[in-house]
Amino acid sequence: MITRRKSLQTIAGGLGAVLGSSLFPGIGRAASSLLGGPKRVIFFMQNQGFDPATCIPAGMTGSGSLAKAKLPEPIEALEPYKDRLHIINGLHGLHTSPAHSAFFGALGGYRGSDGVPPSGPTIDFELSKVLPETLLPHLCIGMDSLENMRAKPTVANLSASGAGQPIFMHSNPNHLYQMLYGGISQGEIRQQHEARSSIYTRIEQMAAAKGGALQGMAKQRYGQYVQGFEDINGLRERLGGVSDHLREFAPEVDERYAKPEFETDWHDVLLDLGISALKSGITSVLTIGSGRGEIFGAWKGLGIEQQGHNLGHMKQPDNPIWIKIRQYNSRMLVKLMEELEKVPEGSGTMMDNTLIVYTSNNADKQHTNGANWPVMLLGHCQGAFKTGRFTQLDGKRPINALYTSILRASGVQCDRFNMSEKLAMKFDTGSGPLKELLV
Amino acid sequence: MKKRAFTLALTAISLLGTAVRAADTSTYTPGQPVEGTFQNFAQDFLERHCFDCHDDVTTKGNLSLLDLGPVDETNASIWKSIWAQVTLQEMPPKKKPQPDIVERLRFSDWVVGELEHAVGGFQAHLDPHKGNYVNHDLLFGPLPEGIRLQPASSPARLWRVTPQEHITRLNELINTEPVYDPEKPGVRSHGDAVPTNHGGELKLYFGTDRIIKWQGGTVAYATSVKSVPAVLSSARKHGLENYPDFYTVNSAEATQIVGKAEDILRYMAYGPLSIANPEQITDDPNTYEMEGDIRGLPTALVYGTKIVRPLTPVFDVIVVREVTDERLQAAVDYLFEALTFRPPAPEESRDYVQIVKDAIAKVGKENGVFMGLSAIFLDRDALFRPELVESGEPDEHGRVMLRDWELGLAVNHALRYIKPDEELRRAIVEGRLRTREDAKREVSRMLADDGIRKPRILRFFHDYFDHDLAGYICKDTVALARTGASSRGNGHYRAMFDATASTDRLIELILEKDRDVLKEMLTTQQVVATKADNTYFGRKHTEEERRAALAARKRAEKEQAKKDAAEVKRLEKEVAELEANVRENPESRQTKKFLARLEKQLVAAKKRIERGPRRNRDQDNVDVALADLSGPKIFARVSRRSFGNGSMKPERMLATAPEGQRMGILTHPAWLVSHSDAMDNHAIHRGRWIRERLLGGGIPDVPITVDAMLPDEPETTLRERMRVTREKYCWTCHQKMDPLGLPFEMYNHAGLFRTTEWGKPVDTTGEIIDSGDPDLDGPVENAIDMIQKLAQSERVEQVFVRHAFRFWMGRNETLNDAAVLQAAHRAYRDSGGSMKALITSLLTSDAFLYRKVQTGDTGKGKE
Repeated sequence: MITRRKSLQTIAGGLGAVLGSSLFPGIGRAASSLLGGPKRVIFFMQNQGFDPATCIPAGMTGSGSLAKAKLPEPIEALEPYKDRLHIINGLHGLHTSPAHSAFFGALGGYRGSDGVPPSGPTIDFELSKVLPETLLPHLCIGMDSLENMRAKPTVANLSASGAGQPIFMHSNPNHLYQMLYGGISQGEIRQQHEARSSIYTRIEQMAAAKGGALQGMAKQRYGQYVQGFEDINGLRERLGGVSDHLREFAPEVDERYAKPEFETDWHDVLLDLGISALKSGITSVLTIGSGRGEIFGAWKGLGIEQQGHNLGHMKQPDNPIWIKIRQYNSRMLVKLMEELEKVPEGSGTMMDNTLIVYTSNNADKQHTNGANWPVMLLGHCQGAFKTGRFTQLDGKRPINALYTSILRASGVQCDRFNMSEKLAMKFDTGSGPLKELLV
Repeated sequence: MKKRAFTLALTAISLLGTAVRAADTSTYTPGQPVEGTFQNFAQDFLERHCFDCHDDVTTKGNLSLLDLGPVDETNASIWKSIWAQVTLQEMPPKKKPQPDIVERLRFSDWVVGELEHAVGGFQAHLDPHKGNYVNHDLLFGPLPEGIRLQPASSPARLWRVTPQEHITRLNELINTEPVYDPEKPGVRSHGDAVPTNHGGELKLYFGTDRIIKWQGGTVAYATSVKSVPAVLSSARKHGLENYPDFYTVNSAEATQIVGKAEDILRYMAYGPLSIANPEQITDDPNTYEMEGDIRGLPTALVYGTKIVRPLTPVFDVIVVREVTDERLQAAVDYLFEALTFRPPAPEESRDYVQIVKDAIAKVGKENGVFMGLSAIFLDRDALFRPELVESGEPDEHGRVMLRDWELGLAVNHALRYIKPDEELRRAIVEGRLRTREDAKREVSRMLADDGIRKPRILRFFHDYFDHDLAGYICKDTVALARTGASSRGNGHYRAMFDATASTDRLIELILEKDRDVLKEMLTTQQVVATKADNTYFGRKHTEEERRAALAARKRAEKEQAKKDAAEVKRLEKEVAELEANVRENPESRQTKKFLARLEKQLVAAKKRIERGPRRNRDQDNVDVALADLSGPKIFARVSRRSFGNGSMKPERMLATAPEGQRMGILTHPAWLVSHSDAMDNHAIHRGRWIRERLLGGGIPDVPITVDAMLPDEPETTLRERMRVTREKYCWTCHQKMDPLGLPFEMYNHAGLFRTTEWGKPVDTTGEIIDSGDPDLDGPVENAIDMIQKLAQSERVEQVFVRHAFRFWMGRNETLNDAAVLQAAHRAYRDSGGSMKALITSLLTSDAFLYRKVQTGDTGKGKE
């Protein structure tokens, strides 16, 4: 009998070898493309708000090309890449209650707040379902103060697979490395990986043995539970099975993993791991939560002594602290683009098939009603998105419309994302994708 | 014409087949497959009862059934509608000849059987929202001849634990909850469920019972504290949420559970040291200096030194002693029972010890113990509760009675989230849990002991009333401000979570008295309230009152401003005089002191003028005539989990609701807002609740062709906008709901009482239509009038019993359960409305005690 696990192993062995850099390019999924390669989307959520004055070029009051504009200091690192940049001002998130962070509502497009559970799937998870199938459909990484990342290496604030179903983000790079590259590692990480693998195998055997007498729907439901362990073990096996391929992309473990001086050391290696997961084809959706969706966070490695809540109380424009944080973000964005550009894919590079969404889980500032929710897009994602532009919207369309646009570009026919027609009467003057964004 | 030719042919067939059909349809046994094909069974029914209106000539409702054909994937939705309409006796219409009861039941079961075969996973009939599809009069009245019942039983099955049950179970491993104190019966104590936090999220918190100091406010605190959200999913919002058919555990959940398991195990071993630095653990918070702004960081917390977490064999094996086989086994056995509520079988114990040993061999003692023990968190019985009756002998009806651990844990789970108390455990181990009498003894004992907390009973009332959804209803800020409730920040949502806890406590108070429980809940004038409830239980001002209140406030502020100005003038004069005095007598310390005091008063008075009037958000609310709620202080069963010790205090009062404005839980803001939407009341939801939960009526699913939207017409009443549901096509169903929901228009969508809407007197009339009890039918003036009527009804009581049956049996009732339901209702009635009597009857019934192993692999879910 061919189990799902076996069939995926077959896919890994066959297609991974044929197509080189990308594992499992879309089998019958919406966003596959024979010419361009598989699409991928990256969400970069900086907490404490994204003040539009820190990204809109001086003097630009209306929509237009960025070609002759000079990007402001906080994002000047993107200057060489502005032909692939689209700055969008004037979306709103009034319905998401984003003061002190909308939490799951930022990527879900619904009301969120501190302590409020997700009321539906978030856009990153939805995309992971429709983009070409990968070993790990969706990876979330979270950057915070060193203490927080150590004490709470996984938290769930931003992504969800459904109502009441949070998805955890990884903040300890050692754990994440073990999960992704345990099979090709050496020493202690290797031992931990093997110990865990053998435990999972044993759990699967024990679980399977306890389901023998079940009948009917109980049997089906129990089968799904056992299948869950098959999936976990299968992922480990599949990652192990393509270890030669992964070895090409796995970052080198250096001192920053075990002995970080500042939290930014871990932020940097977490980004490296995220990039490697994209380049190796382990995942096609990456969510980066800088500040982990909350109202705290620290960047001491940038020479910023203040941390946490006070950062949100400061005005961002012309603020040396926020210039540093945004510049750091911008360098990360540049790194993402440069690394993805290095990998040939289809008739171009990986970056040609990628969309990066940079925004904040706090709309424009920490204490906000969400009337304005600035966003930057990078990449055209196989020509689907307009680039090199600044677009000023009228504040009448919600962030849900942006997510609808990305779903459309991923091949999903939908007019709304997580917004009922009734709610749309109050919060969306339009329907379908944002025509200002799509080609 | 096609129909006529078909009829002639069928007449010939039916003449031949009459005798056969008479024999086939003479008896009906619920749960037994109905033999027959579309051609020799269903076609005949359709011809006789449906084609008159739904053929190619008279396509009523734009539906022709002439070419429908046997059930298959393409026509399944039409067959599903036919099943609903025929089962609910909506079709054939009342003025047409009706099939006899047996014929109707057989046809209904046949359709379900065919849908199960044709559509993989069809289980609409098993959904609790379809529970009322079983005819109420047949369950509680005499049965017509030909219906042959089987003795009741439930299917052998696995129940996945609920998210709340799971978190409460894990909480037992790392936190010691206060022992029940009869002097403070409302305070949350050991055995109560872990409640949702201030934002409505269910989380497991680490070390909150030892935190004695923190930096920052509530949000900073909530971020500093280590917490783990519920991992198991539960997508249902309304109604009963935990049938065994609903859930499983997927790979993402399993991965997260095992990840969190290691955090829990480390805390079991090291306590706060697993999440904090040594210097943070001190009884003198001053010895730990928090340098700078560290709000939101784990280092912003100080923990007391007294160990309060349970010290278990996991602590022993890691912290105290060396790893030996015996200690390892003790840790495995302890953890296994803590997570599955039963001791491991020897082979289970052996397996897990081996897993831990293997892990130790690979990664060393500490990591190996944590990693190995985490496997137990994923054991089948840590996530599911089995009722598989694998060892018992079937009786003559093929039923096997639960016994020993399965029966003990079934009884325990019926009332509790934590493991069996010592006495129940002893009874199980000693073989004294094998009979109905044994079950009755334990159920009665547990029900009589308030110290044994029974959160499942409260959970039933959550599922029944759905009053716990209010904080999750997203409100439009402008629409909320218009209600008179605060629309600033998260105040309203917090108030709604508080309101749920308050209503919970009121339910518990009624359960303590245990007399006429349902009637009391529907009609009590008592409310458990916070100060904020003076607004929510208040009355929305009419426009004239609002204007008058605004004018009065302005007058008062003007008056105050005058007084302040006079005060400044007086103080300035006195200060000038005193300054002169000081100049004359510079040595007088007394004068100088007095001068300094007056100067301070002068500065303060000037600041008051500069600042303008300071308003109290509640007291100066010109939109609302506040309720004057007062009464003795009372606890609510909330916890300190997310907010220091504050909420462990008796912050509520037991008050009386304003007379003539409220009556029972259905008029409380928690219930009203739970059945509202972002902009307005939700009369359809409210009406549906009354129809289903009190009258026992069924509502067919909304046809997919219906665009279920009310027009968006600002400044128009909901009643007016609901005119669209009175169109003929919609009204067939909506007459069952709307006239029952509109009487609640006496409240706005934040739950405030109102007499006007958009400047006109609010229309609160409604009607009870076709309730099944002719005495109930007729117009009602408002919600209170309607509730008074309903609370007297025996039928309403029986419907309540039906819902209790579903909750405790984990399935919908069938006609085979008629005797169980009647006995439960009798027990309730004969005891003067005792919930304890009702529960005891249900938990000692055949439906609860017996299981039947299903055969075959279709999973039809029938008995």
